[in-house]
Parts: sequence; C-alpha cells; structure tokens
Amino acid sequence: MTDVAGRGSPDEAVFIGVGELPSGRYPDRPFMADLVNVAVAAVREAGLAVPDIDTILHIPCLHSPADQADLIFSRVVEELGLQGRAKSSYLVHSGGSTSDNAIRAAAGLIATGRARNVLVVQAEKWGSAPVKEMIDMLTANGIPREWEKQTGLSFNAVGALIQRRYMHASGSTPQDMAAVCVALRQWARLNPNAMYRDRPLTVDQVLASKMITDPLRALECPMLADGAVALVLTSAGNARRLGRDRWVRVAGSGGCVSHYSIGQEADLAVLGWQKASVEAYEEAGWGPEDADLAEVYDSYAAVLTSGLEGLGLAPRGEAARMFAAGTFSPGGRLPVNTNGGLLSAGHTGVGGGTALLAEGVRQLLGRAGPDRQVDGARRAVCGGSGGTYMDSQVLLLEGAGR
Amino acid sequence: MSHTGTESLTEPYYSALRRGELIVQHCKACNRTIMYPRHVCPFCQEADLSWIPASGTGTLHSFAVQRVGPPSGFEDDVPFAVGVVKLDDDVQLLGRLWPDEDGDWGRYACDARVVFHGATGLEIERRPVAWFRLAG
Repeated sequence: MTDVAGRGSPDEAVFIGVGELPSGRYPDRPFMADLVNVAVAAVREAGLAVPDIDTILHIPCLHSPADQADLIFSRVVEELGLQGRAKSSYLVHSGGSTSDNAIRAAAGLIATGRARNVLVVQAEKWGSAPVKEMIDMLTANGIPREWEKQTGLSFNAVGALIQRRYMHASGSTPQDMAAVCVALRQWARLNPNAMYRDRPLTVDQVLASKMITDPLRALECPMLADGAVALVLTSAGNARRLGRDRWVRVAGSGGCVSHYSIGQEADLAVLGWQKASVEAYEEAGWGPEDADLAEVYDSYAAVLTSGLEGLGLAPRGEAARMFAAGTFSPGGRLPVNTNGGLLSAGHTGVGGGTALLAEGVRQLLGRAGPDRQVDGARRAVCGGSGGTYMDSQVLLLEGAGR
Repeated sequence: MSHTGTESLTEPYYSALRRGELIVQHCKACNRTIMYPRHVCPFCQEADLSWIPASGTGTLHSFAVQRVGPPSGFEDDVPFAVGVVKLDDDVQLLGRLWPDEDGDWGRYACDARVVFHGATGLEIERRPVAWFRLAG
C-alpha cells in the first residue's frame, strides 16, 4: 500500500480541465451526445487526448433509469473508444453531494497511483422531461417510503420546511430571502451557460409570484434543467510535466451526514455544515476569512444561507440579510455561486452540485471569462448536499501552479 | 405498504394509527425511545424492541403548506400542511397538520405546542399519517 501523498506533494490529485454545456431546455441534445461532447471538451481543455484517460467516474442522471444503467455499465467507455484501455468506469452516487464524493474517490485513486488521469462526467435531461414525472420520481429519491411518503411530502415542501425554520431562527424576512434569488440571478446574467442568463429578476417579482409551498413562492423554487459538466484530474507532478501553468488542488475536505429522513433532522436551520467544515479548514490550514469565493449548494435560498453560516462565511442568522445588502453579489465583498447556482443557472439534478464545483475550479484556473472572473481568486469554499439535505459535504479548493 | 420486507415495523405502527393511537418504539436494553421504527436500536444496536404509547404532545419544529404541485395521488389533498414535530418523548417525526377554523394554517408557527389528534374512519384508511393540531 502506497502512502497517500501529503499536502502539496507531486503525487496529489489536481484539477486541470473543465468542460460545460449550456443549462436549460435542450430537447434536441441527446443524453449520450451531451456526455461525450462535454467529456471531450474537458479532456482537450486539460491538454490531454481521450486515450490518456484511464478512469471514468460518473455522476448519476435521474431523468431515466435506463440512461443511468448506461453510466453504470461503461457505455461511455465504448462511446469514447476507450475499451481495452480504461482501467475502471463506475457511478458514484450520493445525490447532490455526489461531486464532492466523486472528487474524493478520484483524489485517492490518483494519490495512490491507482489512476493517472481521471474523467468525472455528468449529464442530465431534467429540463426536457415532464415536470410531473420528475416530481414523482424525486419522491422516491431520499423520502422514506415507509414513514414520510404517505404525508404527500414533495421536494418543494422539504425546501419550505428548511426555509421556514431558517426564517424563524434568523428573523429573516420574505424580502431578505427573495434577495438571495436576486443575487444569484445577477451572477447568472454574467454566465453564458446559465439557464436564466437573459432574464433579469427583482425582489418585487419574486414576492409577486404564486405561492407554491408556504413559504416558498414560484420564483424561489428551482427550475429543472438539462445540463452537462466534466472535470479532469491528474497528479500535480503530471500537471507540471504536461506544461500546465495552473491547476487546482483539494486543500481540505470534510463531511457530515446529519439525517436520512427530513423528519429526523435535529435542526433544519443548521444541518451538518458546521461539523463538516471544522475538519476541512483544519486540513487546509486556512479559514473562512481567507476564502476569495464560495460555491455552495443552493436549490432553495435557505439551503444556501444555512450553508454559508455553517461554513463560517457569514455570522449565524445573518446570511440572508447580507445577500440583501449585496455582500455576495457581483462587486460585493465575497462572490457566492458565481455561475448563478442551481436557482438561476438551472437545477440539473445531481449535476447542480457538480456545476458549482466546476465553477469553483474554473475561477481558480482563471478561466471564468471576463464578466465574472474573480480577480486574483486563490481559494474557494465549495459545498454540496444530497437528498433531503441529508449530508453537508465540503471541499476547499486552492489554486496552484508553476 | 412497502415492498421491502419492513411489515414487521410498519404493521404495528399503522395499526395503532388506525385505532387513533400514536406509538413509538422502545429499547428494553438501553431504555430509549426510538422513532422512526428500526430493526436494531440506533443507540445500543440491540434488537429487543417493543412498542409504547407516545405522549402525543410536542413542539412544531417547522411546517410547509403545499398549495401547488403535489406528488401524484395527492391532487385532491391540496392545500395540505406537513410539519416536523419534536415529541416530548425525545423523538421526532413528520406528520400532517389540521387546518385552523378558517381552513388555513395561519395560527401555526415554529416552536408552537402541538398535540397528536388522529384522523378517523375513511380518512385514516386513505391517508395513514400522524395528524397534529395546535395544543390548547
């Protein structure tokens, strides 16, 4: 057993490439086409060729069990011509936190020499699928069928349970919560791949939209979207040998599974973020005050505000008011969810967390484009959460290079 | 109810609900109450578990009122409210909330005291869930 490489070692895993397709409704983009197109884009951006990839880690799709089976059973290996070359291809799945867990798996494989170049790839067709079918499908993904499904619990209701508790605990107003959605829209307007890049949004519009699940209004619920993201990782030593100028290392990692059933969460306004972040910051050797940006799961406003607070990026109870004050908007003190997040770039299922992680990597590589690149970005706090926000997973990313 | 072989847990619980009672599990080994029902005690991992009546009183941690877009089969229920109730027995669960006299849930608030008030007759057959109303 090889020793796992330590911090800053040439053996440690680093990100060298990112690929992404626009999010939204694209019924003419086939699922498999999105997967291979985004994979090829990421591999080329990494300065590699497809045959250099020896391991593929799949992020699941939820729109179709048959398409998910294709991911499990190595169809992408064959589609990319890697049969006989790829060492392994498998699905990692923990819902919206999958990307964090997939990166940990990739990092371990690379650091122990068991993989050289890893492709992490995701595509989802939620935007093209019938909404009703997707609502029903979701009730079988993380809602206990023996104890909670009978109540009629929906994922919007899960978000509403969290949002109401957060508003109660923090004293945040409906205006404050709407301001979270507006800030994310401001970022989405700077992202050519965002579903809502062309649609401005105001607090008044959010508050005038139809009540869906008290206290959530229509424009506070995420819109299901098609999308695709891919990431390429290799060792730091290999990145250097490839002549790369910049790469991104995982400086710290931590997690906390705080429940399975939403009815068993001890504090819906807190979840597992604080516990998850302690270990991550300790490993990284830096703290929230050192972060240049954050990319944290945001399928509902309070999921994001509780995340930012647990991660130490806002005082407890203050995050929504800080959004309203512009702290996390373009031009604000701390850029948050610079791609527009799930709420404004589009909820691509499990891929929503992957897209946030990819945006963090892109920012630290300096490739986020002229409109939204954070000047001198060196450190990013990334967080994902799966199911009914059962877990809080943290990756602390750090830009590096020659 | 389910296709996962968990009838040994679901049958006693839902039978009690149909009788208008709320029961929770109890571990004889460590004397803790358990909810949701489990195959082994989540505190001591022993498997000698029995059922006891719940106090039925508790605090509403949070709630949501579904008005639009329920899952299939719940179209006739809207609007309806679900809430996370922390029972005084040191366990918690997701249940349904009875509406106020005006048919809405405006008097409910986080941390309000609530009490189990089971549904009867056809309603509990149709929707086997624990129902709560505001205490007092």
